[in-house]
Amino acid sequence: MAAAVAMETDDAGNRLRFQLELEFVQCLANPNYLNFLAQRGYFKDKAFVNYLKYLLYWKEPEYAKYLKYPQCLHMLELLQYEHFRKELVNAQCAKFIDEQQILHWQHYSRKRMRLQQALAEQQQQNHAAGK
Amino acid sequence: MYTMEYYSAIRNDKYGFRPASSMAAASGAEKEKERPGVGGGGWGSGAGAAGGNSTRERLLSALEDLEVLSRELIEMLAISRNQKLLPPDEENQVLELLIHRDGEFQELMKLALNQGKIHHEMHVLEKEVEKRDSDIQQLQKQLKEAEQILATAVYQAKEKLKSIEKARKGAISSEEIIKYAHRISASNAVCAPLTWVPGDPRRPYPTDLEMRSGLLGQMNNPSTNGVNGHLPGDALAAGRLPDVLASQYPWQSNDMSMNMLPPNHSNDFLLEPPGHNKENEDDVEVMSTDSSSSSSDSD
Repeated sequence: MAAAVAMETDDAGNRLRFQLELEFVQCLANPNYLNFLAQRGYFKDKAFVNYLKYLLYWKEPEYAKYLKYPQCLHMLELLQYEHFRKELVNAQCAKFIDEQQILHWQHYSRKRMRLQQALAEQQQQNHAAGK
Repeated sequence: MYTMEYYSAIRNDKYGFRPASSMAAASGAEKEKERPGVGGGGWGSGAGAAGGNSTRERLLSALEDLEVLSRELIEMLAISRNQKLLPPDEENQVLELLIHRDGEFQELMKLALNQGKIHHEMHVLEKEVEKRDSDIQQLQKQLKEAEQILATAVYQAKEKLKSIEKARKGAISSEEIIKYAHRISASNAVCAPLTWVPGDPRRPYPTDLEMRSGLLGQMNNPSTNGVNGHLPGDALAAGRLPDVLASQYPWQSNDMSMNMLPPNHSNDFLLEPPGHNKENEDDVEVMSTDSSSSSSDSD
């Protein structure tokens, strides 16, 4: 009985830990948050760096399927490098990453718009030619 | 007494300097005959210090001996014609020597002939050997090429097998992939909404607001009454808050088996007791700039 209870609490604890780590790893996709962490010296803490290394397990497919913002994995990989962590202290660095991320985010919509435009132009031409 | 030494001496006188070894060779004529003919060295190499060993040298020396002897004989005959003083023994001696030397000469000639034949055969065989050598080298080259090609083929096959293994390892059902793709695109996490304009607060990452209203943010803010207090008035953002961070996977359900949980070797980041949960708390505490909600009891 006690063992079952213990198992249950353990299970609950693990579930909580899962959700917390899930949230935290996705927060890493936010360059402003990374800048925040860098400026408060979290990246200098060896325990934190080890934690980041531990979080790499989210790259496995059975865990990655829970991620809503998969860009966080790329950020996590970059964070493994000392140089990147040091660079993030600058606000311009974070701003640059932010801009690039947003631009990339718009990549597909841009592509779709271009396709639509091309299609519209073609239709116009056909229409004009038809007349 | 007319001995071979005497004639060698005469010869040396008449013909000038001869290499010392040929003198010794001449005196050891008997020994010479027993010496193996092939060991007599090259047919064409009568050179220098090797002296009386080569067949050519021996032939030449025999010829010279004959010449000397015949000259002596003729001189003796000439003298005896003028003088009537006959040293008959000496004539006979010279004759005998002459005949003997001639016999030697004939034998040497036969020997030389044999040697010639052997040499010719040797030459033929050498050519044969050369041909075989070149054949073997050719074969070696081809084998080496073959080996290289095979090694390359084997290497590439191994690489292929490795990549096959890798692919098989990472095999995921297409249905899952489609489900996942749908999930991340539907929520605009990886593709911007079509109506996005600069100024739109939506982002490809969890925003500040979303972070605070997620589980991490709520852990140290039990006193806040929901998220509405923090809203900037953007209804869109508000509408998305509740499920924005946590997985949409029904994680209260029993579907999530124990092996889905994060690897549990992580409690010693510093090789000291404090686990990583503490770090999450610290982050969340410091992150919320709203002073009313921060309760920093650890540092």
